[in-house]
Amino acid sequence: MARVFVSSVIDAPAAKVWERVRDFNALPRWHPRIRDSRIENGEPSDKIGCVRDFHLQNGDRLREKLLGLSDYDMFCTYTILEGPMPLTNYIATLRLTPVSDGDRTFIEWTAEFDCAPEVEGDLVNGIGINVFQGGFDALKRHFGGR
Amino acid sequence: MVKIVKSTIMEAPVEAVWEVLRDFNGHDRWHPAVADSHIERGQSSDKVGCVRRFHLVDGSELREQLLTLSDADMAFTYCLLDTPVPLLNYVAHVRLTPVTDGDLTFWEWESRFDTPAGEEQRLKDMVSEQIYQAGFEAVRAHMGLAPASTA
Repeated sequence: MARVFVSSVIDAPAAKVWERVRDFNALPRWHPRIRDSRIENGEPSDKIGCVRDFHLQNGDRLREKLLGLSDYDMFCTYTILEGPMPLTNYIATLRLTPVSDGDRTFIEWTAEFDCAPEVEGDLVNGIGINVFQGGFDALKRHFGGR
Repeated sequence: MVKIVKSTIMEAPVEAVWEVLRDFNGHDRWHPAVADSHIERGQSSDKVGCVRRFHLVDGSELREQLLTLSDADMAFTYCLLDTPVPLLNYVAHVRLTPVTDGDLTFWEWESRFDTPAGEEQRLKDMVSEQIYQAGFEAVRAHMGLAPASTA
């Protein structure tokens, strides 16, 4: 079981950051690596079980299913159904927690998955740096000028 | 039931902050409200169930019991056994989480307790500011860190 854990601090109230990331279909609006996204079967993007079908900027296509969403705890959990990466049993969670001191946001993105040992290092780094930290950097740029 | 959640970002790696906080008997070395502290019956301060007996700077004596301690989660839980302040059924949690972006620490300190009717706001403000927020600042000073910045 491989594990990715990346966390950061966004200089904005957690409610504001959550507003930007809670929509399971909104990746193209806030994450620079995502080109387009749609929810299959015309379902709402906050319906548990809905599937997002999206493309990265390089043209790779992924399908991911929403497993959990909480407006109270501000987290979103999902799994990869189809994608170009050589991994299985992928489950990821994006979670926000308020930082009361300064009214900022602690943001965590974790993933667990199975893969062959020889590709684990590259997958952990690729997901952690390009996807998760890349998303945090985009949020930091967006909210940077408070 | 009053619930308090306070949190901050410490400009230090999580291992360094945990080294300070995991000693259940170490608070008299950094918290300005605590004058002295010892663990009862000569027990070790990382023995779950141990009791710390301490005095505040105003002379009042408190006893608190360690309910949970985890090096894996960098967290501990404790409750108040005896206190002159009317904090009833007081249970508090401290938890550290790494901030990988910059090698910093996210520190949460939360509690739930009951109070006599009408005392909720006064005691909530007192615990939030004089214990938790003051504790954040005191550990920063103890570790030689700069005062809270806005990351």
